Amino acid sequence: MLSIRVDSLEYNRVTLTPQGRLTLLTAPQLREEIVARLAAGDRLIVVDLSGTTFVDSSGLGALVSCLKSARQAGGDLRLVAPTEQVSMVLRLTNLDRILKPRASVAAALDD
Amino acid sequence: MTERPGSVVIDVAVEPESIDLVQNAFETWWTSLGDDSLETRFSFETAIVEIAANVVEHSRRSDADHGRRFTLELSATDDRLTAVFHDNGMPSEIDLSAVSMADLEDEDGRGLALALLSLESLDYEHVDGKNVWTLVCRR
Repeated sequence: MLSIRVDSLEYNRVTLTPQGRLTLLTAPQLREEIVARLAAGDRLIVVDLSGTTFVDSSGLGALVSCLKSARQAGGDLRLVAPTEQVSMVLRLTNLDRILKPRASVAAALDD
Repeated sequence: MTERPGSVVIDVAVEPESIDLVQNAFETWWTSLGDDSLETRFSFETAIVEIAANVVEHSRRSDADHGRRFTLELSATDDRLTAVFHDNGMPSEIDLSAVSMADLEDEDGRGLALALLSLESLDYEHVDGKNVWTLVCRR
């Protein structure tokens, strides 16, 4: 299963750190959390993937959906430190073009 | 779960929770192989999870029968890894030659394309009332 740590920051920014596998089973959980953060007023959503061991196409779909929602709300969604399998699927699907990973949370916040 | 050297079979319900069981079985099997190629592991695991998810999603869309099950057999030779799924769901009308990667802003439609990119071969057939997916990965 997936656990998601949520760290609220000042200036309507939030960091989410999903731990585990982001798949058909767990993607709705991440999507609901991000939708809730946007509804609460957060605008910069940083998803720290350093503890996410595996992402499938459902997980990728959730990230794309949340990126679009964030941008529609005038914000952004940024990925941080994907693990090796996650980097592979981002590359194979070309999604690294619109979800370009940052090396660290600090880099994602400062960008 | 039954086992013989280099091979494992699991039999699970067609439901989202089974994706985790498939991955747990894969991890145990992979560890038993002693293969340290992360690229091979992630490619094969990604394809297996995508096909398992396809079986679950296909059943959810097309089938009101909640008693469906699927099996997954994993096996290895010196140069090939093979995964075979059998399920007793409704036949799929998929044309694998027509599969392409979704556009960047699409929220779905990447699963089979990702599986195809990760494998040496992917085949689907409906045989004796069962859907059979055969995945082969070079090692």
